[in-house]
Amino acid sequence: MPTIEHNGKSFTVDEDGFLLKGMDEWNDEWVDYVKGAEGISDLTDEHQKVIDALQEYYKKNGIAPMVRILSKTTGFPLKRIYELFPSGPGKGACKMAGLPKPTGCV
Amino acid sequence: MGYNPDKPMDGRISDLGPPHYEQFFPPVIKANKGKWLWHEITQPGVLMHKSETDDEVYTVRVGTARLITIDLIREICDIADAHCDGFMRWTTRNNVEFMVDSKDKVQPLLDDLASRDNRFPVGGTGAGVTNIVHTQGWVHCHTPATDASGVVKAVMDELFDYFTSMTLPAQVRIALACCLNMCGAVHASDIAILGVHRKPPMIDNKRITGVCELPLAIASCPLGAVKPAKAEVDGQEIKTVKVTVERCMFCGNCYTMCPAMPLADPEGDGIAILVGGKVSNRISAPKFSKMVIPFLPNNTPRWPETVEAIKKILEAYAKGARKYERVGEWAERIGWEKFFEECDIPFTDKSIDDYRLAYDTWRTTTQFKYTSHIK
Ligand code: HEM
Ligand code: HEM
Ligand code: SF4
Ligand code: SF4
Repeated sequence: MPTIEHNGKSFTVDEDGFLLKGMDEWNDEWVDYVKGAEGISDLTDEHQKVIDALQEYYKKNGIAPMVRILSKTTGFPLKRIYELFPSGPGKGACKMAGLPKPTGCV
Repeated sequence: MGYNPDKPMDGRISDLGPPHYEQFFPPVIKANKGKWLWHEITQPGVLMHKSETDDEVYTVRVGTARLITIDLIREICDIADAHCDGFMRWTTRNNVEFMVDSKDKVQPLLDDLASRDNRFPVGGTGAGVTNIVHTQGWVHCHTPATDASGVVKAVMDELFDYFTSMTLPAQVRIALACCLNMCGAVHASDIAILGVHRKPPMIDNKRITGVCELPLAIASCPLGAVKPAKAEVDGQEIKTVKVTVERCMFCGNCYTMCPAMPLADPEGDGIAILVGGKVSNRISAPKFSKMVIPFLPNNTPRWPETVEAIKKILEAYAKGARKYERVGEWAERIGWEKFFEECDIPFTDKSIDDYRLAYDTWRTTTQFKYTSHIK
């Protein structure tokens, strides 16, 4: 299983760079690492708001929120979410928040 | 400007959509768009369209394997350059069509195609068997119960003469899907080849925590067979799922949603055959295909049992059906009990619907025919 070293921390990830142990291994260094990989220059409060919303929903419900729910709870339309996370809510934001990789016919 | 991984959004072009198709019209198609009067099939694989301007376009249809190399695409381009001013098109069943604007250009094109071993078989028109619409199989997907390209090649080899001729009562559409997600056309084809599992998923508790959204796995099951559960991994209690095996019908939906629930199995997996679907509204309304053979083994690399079963159905249909009758129309006219007899298919309980709206598929009449199946 591939591991990633970043700022002295190591993470087990799958071939797409999602955390295999999910939020158990999640920390600030992970956010910093994904930030670089996703081409996000500055981590703003808005980014943080999306990450918090995803983690809170996941802890409560065991699933990632549907895109419309994410837009509703954060107040960001999908367009804004893509501006914040260029790879989108799944590959970008969920990865950074330490949620499981999206499944199904993606 | 080359792509700069440090600034991925710089100079990024997006939302262009596909190029407008008119850019790729051969001149004769462009000039006569919306003016076509009639057409005929001059020989298997060759169509002629007549326009009100008196223009004609001859179309030569050739089979392809769908999964092809850039080398082959380049060869197709060479042929189009040599005969068709650089224009060609793909059909909705992944055949390739070369168009020329006069009759004397047809034979040189056919001769050229014939000179290239059998890479460009001409056919697929009229009442024959055209290309098989198919899926990814073991070449690329993670949920298949059988292969796509391999089975399709084995079947088309056996039915090749039906591709290059037009001797059947009506056209016969064959489709393949390697799992019952049914990407493509298997649910509405004359003959359909479908990958099926026969064993329930295995649950990998070591992985499930990080890779599965458990409520999704539970909601994905059409039979409510997936339930929340607890398990111990390395002395720690984790949340997981369990499967009520007697309820599971091996659809594999839960694996699609949860990578820790794999169910592929070399002995368990194989092929089911469905028949009688169609999408056109000609004479009868569109129909779904129905399952007539529940299981045939994955006997690689030539799938002899599957090939044999399809050939038998096709030949019984060719013998029994009336002109213009599709496989499904024939089966419904003679009665499904006669269909099983004519095709020499043993009837099993697996063909009796038992899912939710099943009742409507049972027989609520005394009208039936005695067949060899009733002893
Ligand atoms: C709303 C428009 C259309 C729809 C929904 C449609 C749908 C379909 C479908 C479902 C098939 C497969 C039928 C079967 O094999 O059972 C088909 C085949 C075909 N369609 Fe269309 N079609 C449309 C427009 C057109 C147009 C505008 C053309 C050409 C000018 C065209 C040319 C063909 C050809 C040549 C085939 C046969 C391909 C082959 O067998 O290799 N279609 N179409
Ligand atoms: C007066 C106009 C037309 C009539 C009455 C007509 C009628 C028919 C009929 C009866 C069939 C056979 C259907 C079947 O076997 O289920 C057919 C097939 C077909 N038609 Fe036409 N058609 C006309 C115009 C056109 C035009 C303008 C085009 C394309 C530009 C076209 C393209 C085709 C094609 C590609 C097939 C399928 C050939 C094959 O794969 O066997 N038709 N048409
Ligand atoms: S039919 Fe199933 S296995 Fe085949 S490509 Fe589609 S999803 Fe994958
Ligand atoms: S394979 Fe299908 S029927 Fe069986 S548990 Fe999974 S979702 Fe349910």
